[in-house]
Amino acid sequence: MSGLLQINGLRKRFGQRLLLDIDHLHIDAGAAYVLTGANGAGKSTLLRVLCGLEPAEVSRLVFMGESLRLSPYPRAMREAIAYVHQHPVMFSTSVADNIAYGLKGRGLSREEIRSRVDEAIAWAGIDHLRRSPPATLSGGEKQRVALARARVLRPRLLLLDEPTANLDGAAREAVIGLIPTLVHAGSSVVMACHDRDLINLPGVRRLKLREGRIEIRSA
Amino acid sequence: MHLIQAIHDAFALLVSGDANLWRIIWISVKTTLLALLIAAPFSVVCGYAIASHRFFGRRILIWLAQVSLSLPTVLIGLLLYLLLSRRGPLGELGWLFSQTGIVAGQVLIALPVLIAFTLAAVQAADVRLAETAITLGASRWRVMLTVLHEVRFGVMAAVITGFGRVISEVGCAMMVGGNIAGETRTITTAIALETSKGEFAQGIALGIVLVSISLVINAGLMLLQGDAHAAPAAR
Repeated sequence: MSGLLQINGLRKRFGQRLLLDIDHLHIDAGAAYVLTGANGAGKSTLLRVLCGLEPAEVSRLVFMGESLRLSPYPRAMREAIAYVHQHPVMFSTSVADNIAYGLKGRGLSREEIRSRVDEAIAWAGIDHLRRSPPATLSGGEKQRVALARARVLRPRLLLLDEPTANLDGAAREAVIGLIPTLVHAGSSVVMACHDRDLINLPGVRRLKLREGRIEIRSA
Repeated sequence: MHLIQAIHDAFALLVSGDANLWRIIWISVKTTLLALLIAAPFSVVCGYAIASHRFFGRRILIWLAQVSLSLPTVLIGLLLYLLLSRRGPLGELGWLFSQTGIVAGQVLIALPVLIAFTLAAVQAADVRLAETAITLGASRWRVMLTVLHEVRFGVMAAVITGFGRVISEVGCAMMVGGNIAGETRTITTAIALETSKGEFAQGIALGIVLVSISLVINAGLMLLQGDAHAAPAAR
């Protein structure tokens, strides 16, 4: 597999406290990773740094073969990396409009946007929710809409923060079932999680964070 | 009996379509709407920017906006009077005792109200809204429009509050406008004048109009808000 993202010397401080101190991070194209570690180990912070929501110092950053700086956050990364919050928030429009949000302003035709939204809705199995106001959705439904909203952008790298947190039963299984299909569609996926079923998904590699450092990397 | 008679006369005056009375109402509504049209876009963007960015002097700006909320409008009128008077630095504009001068004063009164209320609405919004928009690739302007759309009821409340404060103020309009009949006489300055003359009917009639405007605007806001006022169980 070819390298999608390579970072050397990533440091993230909050005041005097060093939250992340990662010498080397390598994400392969089309691979899935779980980011594990105790609460406060820096999992969410790392995802937020990678998607540009938190600034950090980086010695070297190579994304899709191009050497970049992390600050200001590069346009190439903004367009190719999608992030889903642990508890996704919906805009107060319809589900379909939420999914189309990121596609608008990318120079796509209305037909192209409609077709990609339809495809994402079918993929997430939420056709019955298409016109629903997001305020009426359950936690599991919101998570699926958020995944569809990210997937519709066809990201090269998808960052998921605890995608099954606070979900149980069918809602959790539905979300777990969607993850491998993201990888099959060509995206790399990095998930911060504690969920055993996600950690044990076939082919998923493991990165374990401890006090801001990557302690274990599994092939 | 005196009060009942005055109220009766006030309704008679309103129904008769008294030209002077309706001219006063028209001047008030026109200057207020114009002031809001000028102040609202700037204030809403300003309130959003202060709420969502960290920069040097931010806390001072918030403090100033909050202090300005409690400034007596007559003081704003005094400052503006000094600026616009013939010997003042802006005297050449010729805005003193004109509707333009009233609008300028109303803009100054509306700005802190609109900024402070928009700021509070944006600060109360879920921070993940802006973050989600950013990670979905929205431009800065689109992020702002998205967040403002999500807090639109708060922004509407800001505009309504600004409208209420501006149309009901008397000090600034009196000092800068001069209360000239048919030119700069507004609802509030007319009420003050008529009451001082013992002409209660016109004062009460204008008071009824002022309250009616407030009722209509607030009813409109509630309609726009839809079921946002519904009790949680009824949603």
